Amino acid sequence: MRGHGQLLGLYVPGHSLLHRTPLALKALLCVGASTPVVLIRQPITTAAGLVLFLLLMTVGARLPLRKVLGALVPALPVLALLALYSWFTRGPEAAFVVPGGIAVCMLAARLLTVTTPGQELLDGLVRLVRPLRRLGADPERFALALSIMVRSIPYLVGSLSDLRDAAKARGLQRSPRAVVVPVVVNAVAYAQATGQALAARGLGEHTDARDMHGENMDGEDSTDADGRDGA
Amino acid sequence: MSQAHPSSSGAAVASRRRARKRWNSTDLSLIAVFAALIAALAIVPGIPVGALGVPITLQTLGVMLAGVVLGPGRGGAAVGLYVLAGLAGLPIFSGFRGGLAVLAGPSAGYLIAFPLAAMLAGFLAAALLRRTRRFRVGVLFLACFTASLLLIHPLGITGLVVNGGLSVGDAIATDAVFLPGDVIKNLLAAGIAAAVHRAFPRLVPRTGADGPGHGGNEGAARTA
Amino acid sequence: MIRFTDASVTAPGEDGGSRTILHPVTLELGEHRISVIGANGSGKSTLLKLINGLTLPTSGSVSVDGLDTARRGREVRRKVGFVFTDPLSQLVMPTGREDVELSLRGRIRRADERRTAGMQVLQSYGIGHLADRSIYDLSGGERQLLAIAVVAAVEPAVLIADEPTTLLDLRNEHTIRAVLRGLPQQVIFTTHNLSFAQDSDRTLVLDGGRVVFDGDPAGAVAFYQELCLR
Repeated sequence: MRGHGQLLGLYVPGHSLLHRTPLALKALLCVGASTPVVLIRQPITTAAGLVLFLLLMTVGARLPLRKVLGALVPALPVLALLALYSWFTRGPEAAFVVPGGIAVCMLAARLLTVTTPGQELLDGLVRLVRPLRRLGADPERFALALSIMVRSIPYLVGSLSDLRDAAKARGLQRSPRAVVVPVVVNAVAYAQATGQALAARGLGEHTDARDMHGENMDGEDSTDADGRDGA
Repeated sequence: MSQAHPSSSGAAVASRRRARKRWNSTDLSLIAVFAALIAALAIVPGIPVGALGVPITLQTLGVMLAGVVLGPGRGGAAVGLYVLAGLAGLPIFSGFRGGLAVLAGPSAGYLIAFPLAAMLAGFLAAALLRRTRRFRVGVLFLACFTASLLLIHPLGITGLVVNGGLSVGDAIATDAVFLPGDVIKNLLAAGIAAAVHRAFPRLVPRTGADGPGHGGNEGAARTA
Repeated sequence: MIRFTDASVTAPGEDGGSRTILHPVTLELGEHRISVIGANGSGKSTLLKLINGLTLPTSGSVSVDGLDTARRGREVRRKVGFVFTDPLSQLVMPTGREDVELSLRGRIRRADERRTAGMQVLQSYGIGHLADRSIYDLSGGERQLLAIAVVAAVEPAVLIADEPTTLLDLRNEHTIRAVLRGLPQQVIFTTHNLSFAQDSDRTLVLDGGRVVFDGDPAGAVAFYQELCLR
């Protein structure tokens, strides 16, 4: 069974400038710098975006260039096909701008995940939800759901590959149904057991934490999210 | 707490907003575990198909399952949670991808369509199964396939045009490559959902909007 | 003091009917350590879940220190901790440290204090060195220890454990039994292990949803063995 470490494992530990930059600032930078590239779609902005993020990754985050480019490898077939298609339909400029824009966004997103521990990213996501509280969102429960999800993935991947092997052993590898039905049934039973355990611990119930602790619990939350250094 | 509100399944029809507020910890955990299930189905190896090599994985199977097994509210929430966590950077989209970059890629439209499709499939399944108990697998397939035709394919094509720069015709042709696989996956989803319904008869809301508590009562009864 | 007053549980059956899981029972549970034995499906787990309101009685009532589980469920669950058979369904966070801190969230507001307190809890159970390990990398015994630690961390007045040693090997079973013996609070547990059942001041025997014996552990075990052979 795979540990969750692998799942949150894009993070490369380090002490570079970008590792130390707060997540919110990094996120703003990445979105702010990649959006114009996608919207404008001129060779000059695309090239500038590529250079900017390659510099940020190699100099700002002190990552080896090989590793930076390696992140693009899985997307290469798609990017190459897009380039070919754009060349034939709209000429060489489009062949650079369309896949180039996607590459910029990939680098930008990679920058965040490589320099920020996974748990911190999730905490950041929870903070992003916090302003939605007025619309009925509940950041506490959202955070709890995220945690349960992250911790359930290795369990389910494990049971999926176990059952894949079992199906193969019985010559049923061509029957996804033989594999997926038990996985889903297990997942439901597992979710119900987890739900019971949550209820038993007084977690995840809909009434918000306020009436339980006498006062606003979300107010102190920011200290919590900042206090974590990620697992 | 489900047990504290035995009448909630009826009352839940009142409004989606209120129904959502009443999700108990079992509902929360079902949402989270189904989000994880979609992730697990998405990251086991898939097959790249078509001009853009967008991989066919069991990801969409998980999306439809969440809708028809959990109902529109919880199913939509499960898929939404999955998409959000992936966009935040967890490598849980097909091909171990993750992060906001996916929104700029050619498959962005499919991703955006997923939560909506789960909700529609769940809604249709609940609405149809209220009228008939027969042809369960067929009804479930119809719900999944309708949702996929009305939401996943149109939004997917839009994504191919906007992000991939494809012409509408080429985008439709690219998307059409997924249709046969889609039919198979929707059939699968229907068969699996019917089996899960048999294993957990009270998990699926029978009374309309998926009120909370079905899962909780189920758990209490089964563990006795 | 835990009080059952004519409490019964029925569940909806397959075709609209209902089946009785627990027949009406009236009990007062005040002893320090109480064990519950009985066959699978005899209603043991339901009896335990009634105590913290995870299951509510279909008729009658259950109260803990005067708090009714149906109306004051939230307060009851703060008094009553519950340890499940499978720790994996109980541990919510990816690591022990995060899980115990989640437990402590309600009582310790500052993140750094919570961190220290969480570490102390883990250390007191001898698993401080495992704090940052993935829960999937722990052995069964370590996981069950962790599950007990995160529940006991909030110092409940009563700790309930549903077959806490069923999934464990002999050595781990002894560790968990020793830990449960050392807990200051009231402990109520179910088990299929008859020697473990006698680690108690009082034993209930359940059969077919009824309490068929209630008394001293040795007598209960003898009665249960007789029952099984019949």
